Amino acid sequence: MTGRKFVFAACGLLLFASSGWSFYQSRNLEEQVVLSPGVTEVKRLGDYFDGIRGTVNDCYVYIMEGEEPGGTVFVMGGTHPEEPAARLAAWLLAENAEMDVGRMIVVLSSNRSASTATRIGGAYPPDFTIATDWGERTFRLGDRWANPLDQWPDPEVYIHYPSRQYLAYVDIRNLNRTWPGRPDGSLTERTTHAFMELIRQEEVDLFIDLHEAELQYPVISTIVAHDTGEELAAFTSMMLSDMEFNIGMEYSPPTLHGLSHREVGDHSDAVSLLFEAPEPFLDATRGKTTREQLLTGKDEFVVKAGEAGLLYEEIDESGWPMDKRVGRHTSTVLMTLELWTELNPDRPMRARGIPLYGEVLEMGLGHWLHDPAAAPPDRVVIE
Amino acid sequence: MSMFTYAGFVLGVMVVVYIVAKVFKLSTELSMFAAALGGALAGGFWIPTRHIAEGAMTYLDINLIFITATLFMNILKESGGVAFAVRGILKRFYRSRTLLVILLTVLLLLPGALTGAGSVTVLITGGMVAVVLETMGVSRVRTAAIVFIIAGLSAAAPPVSLWAMMTAAGVNMPYVGFFWPLLLPCVLLSLVTIFLLGWKGERIDLERALGELPQPPDRMGWGKVFLPLIVFGLLIFIGRHWPHDTPVLGLPLMFACAAGTSFFLSPVKLDFLKISRETIKQLLPLIGTLTCVGVLVQIMTLTGVRGLLAVTAVTLPVALVFATLFIVLPVSEAVLMWGAAPVLGVPLVLLFNNIGLDPIVALAGMSVIWPLGDALPPTAIIGRLTVEVVGFKEKYTQFLKACIVPGILIMAVGTLMVIYSSHLTFLTGL
Amino acid sequence: MTFLQSVVSVLYYLLVAYVVVLLVWNFRRSRKWDEEVLYIIVLIPFLLRLFRLK
Repeated sequence: MTGRKFVFAACGLLLFASSGWSFYQSRNLEEQVVLSPGVTEVKRLGDYFDGIRGTVNDCYVYIMEGEEPGGTVFVMGGTHPEEPAARLAAWLLAENAEMDVGRMIVVLSSNRSASTATRIGGAYPPDFTIATDWGERTFRLGDRWANPLDQWPDPEVYIHYPSRQYLAYVDIRNLNRTWPGRPDGSLTERTTHAFMELIRQEEVDLFIDLHEAELQYPVISTIVAHDTGEELAAFTSMMLSDMEFNIGMEYSPPTLHGLSHREVGDHSDAVSLLFEAPEPFLDATRGKTTREQLLTGKDEFVVKAGEAGLLYEEIDESGWPMDKRVGRHTSTVLMTLELWTELNPDRPMRARGIPLYGEVLEMGLGHWLHDPAAAPPDRVVIE
Repeated sequence: MSMFTYAGFVLGVMVVVYIVAKVFKLSTELSMFAAALGGALAGGFWIPTRHIAEGAMTYLDINLIFITATLFMNILKESGGVAFAVRGILKRFYRSRTLLVILLTVLLLLPGALTGAGSVTVLITGGMVAVVLETMGVSRVRTAAIVFIIAGLSAAAPPVSLWAMMTAAGVNMPYVGFFWPLLLPCVLLSLVTIFLLGWKGERIDLERALGELPQPPDRMGWGKVFLPLIVFGLLIFIGRHWPHDTPVLGLPLMFACAAGTSFFLSPVKLDFLKISRETIKQLLPLIGTLTCVGVLVQIMTLTGVRGLLAVTAVTLPVALVFATLFIVLPVSEAVLMWGAAPVLGVPLVLLFNNIGLDPIVALAGMSVIWPLGDALPPTAIIGRLTVEVVGFKEKYTQFLKACIVPGILIMAVGTLMVIYSSHLTFLTGL
Repeated sequence: MTFLQSVVSVLYYLLVAYVVVLLVWNFRRSRKWDEEVLYIIVLIPFLLRLFRLK
């Protein structure tokens, strides 16, 4: 090999080693959860369906049993890990919620595989850090789709089960396109099948899937409801818009398949809702792609697109900070539980410890993330 | 510093680095890579190895499709299958110019449609079709124009249309519903092109034509030509009809199966390793382009340059966008090659979607126009390749002149497809 | 089915390994510096996938 070739090969090796180390580190970044005193049991998804046991998607399932019996709510974060407010809102529940009445089940990394890779071409930072009262906590910023290292190849076209609807090939790795899943399908399909088993075995009454959306996407700042949850979603939207912040309500389209708000409702007894908060970081018109933009939601270019009337949510110089987005989700969960109990007094649910929108804005979401070093070791879980 | 100033500065640096690299005779791929590095440095990110590598990963699967599909086509060619098919068509149809012209169009459309690369059409069937066209009395410059234009349209044709696939991926839109909106204009425009430029000529001298075409091996037959294609078609069929009872194979493995079938059926002993190495060598400019485009787009996204271009495009007056599509798309292709799709295609589709146009038909219309840029400098890869394969030795501008009439037709059809896309939505559901 | 799917995945890794071998082979044979650089750039994503890093 000539000297020139040696130099080129060495440069290539350096690039490979340096980037490879960075990918390895972010794939294996440990995220801690300090369990709320309300968490009475920690299970794994594999406990509900053997086909997912031991895989990357065998995530933790946090169960909070109330002092009094009632209904069961299942709140899911991490369907799309590139929507971090959805995951962080679930984190606040796992670290703070206590049930007085009924039962709450929380999942933080429903597509754990997707949390281990950032979107190619997206220039995402591998992780982000939230300041807390005692220090800081770092979380992975994932992708919309499961990591190809866990599910490869993609088909020529993805045909949804059981509707046989044609979807984009890449969406076979999108957890919110593979509901209700199937036991011998792809990793993502097996994951949604396992969640359906969880919903059936735990007799879940209300299922909530947390999300964020780009401002250029029409389904934003809203609650998408299955037919069985329309009344609940409409009341929640009205109450929140009157008391805390504007949030809309949309009907789950009956012909659009693979989405949780459609399939969970169709294939189980649970009422299915999906919450969307605004995330300018996902907009194609966004400026510099940085952790700061992710956390503050400030972006001149997105503001400019808004001035041209191209957005479905308002944005100004103050942006959409993470606290605001997380607070919207926690408040919407609380309001939904309250109204659920009014509409279904035979299956009541009442939670405490979960911060409201105003509280998260005032104190910052870091206030509700607890110090793992100060917690008893058996109350800390590596997510 | 405002985001507009910052991203504008980074964009300026990228453009300057690209021009300087070109002045120093660097290839387009390396010029784009240099521009990406320049942009990262100007943006204050130094050499962001993670982003460079992540960007380079963007088109890994598409590169695998490229490699396996071209390997398949090369094995078919080396086994004498392509020569056999061309000779067979010529012998059977030399008396009917119309039928012959139609079959030559199919031969030119097939490799590019399957692989997504016009260069594969030029390399696999372009040369042999050119021989037939010349024996039909079509001048060499017109032959070159026919091969180039149809090669471009074949790349835009389904099932693999990289411009549409890359843009659709950039806006989270499924690559579904594109088949007819892409197939109809590509087939019709190809036929119009070949009839326009190749209709006038003389009676075919069959002896001369057969003498100039390569001789296939004795034991080659139609079965050996078609069986690998049948295997490929069957795998697609099985995947679509029993998607939940069969494992996901993916296009690269399907093409690899077709390549394997062709290899085992070959009447002559083939050196698989040699053909594979040559395939990689032949594809290097293309897979290199895709890899470097991925890096460039990642750095543009990182520094906000992609956002700047996107927000500028979506806030332009719509009439101006429509009126300049015919020139903006080919020029962007000439500079960025497929990089034009994620950089320019994505914001344009967002704009079209916002103003109520059908994004699928509009994107199909744009995809038909884009390949025209492959004849224009600074890259002109497919144009140069065509001229070389066909053996046209005169001035390159003469070749460009011969492309003008079909080129204008393609621009007009593509632009009209964009403007009237909402009236053509029915095509997506056929 | 899950087992068959794993077999297909393994075949893809073998395919990638084969491409890596071809790229390295051609890199060694290449005489043009710009081609050599391009081979190295193209090689990176295939290596990252082969070693299951990305």
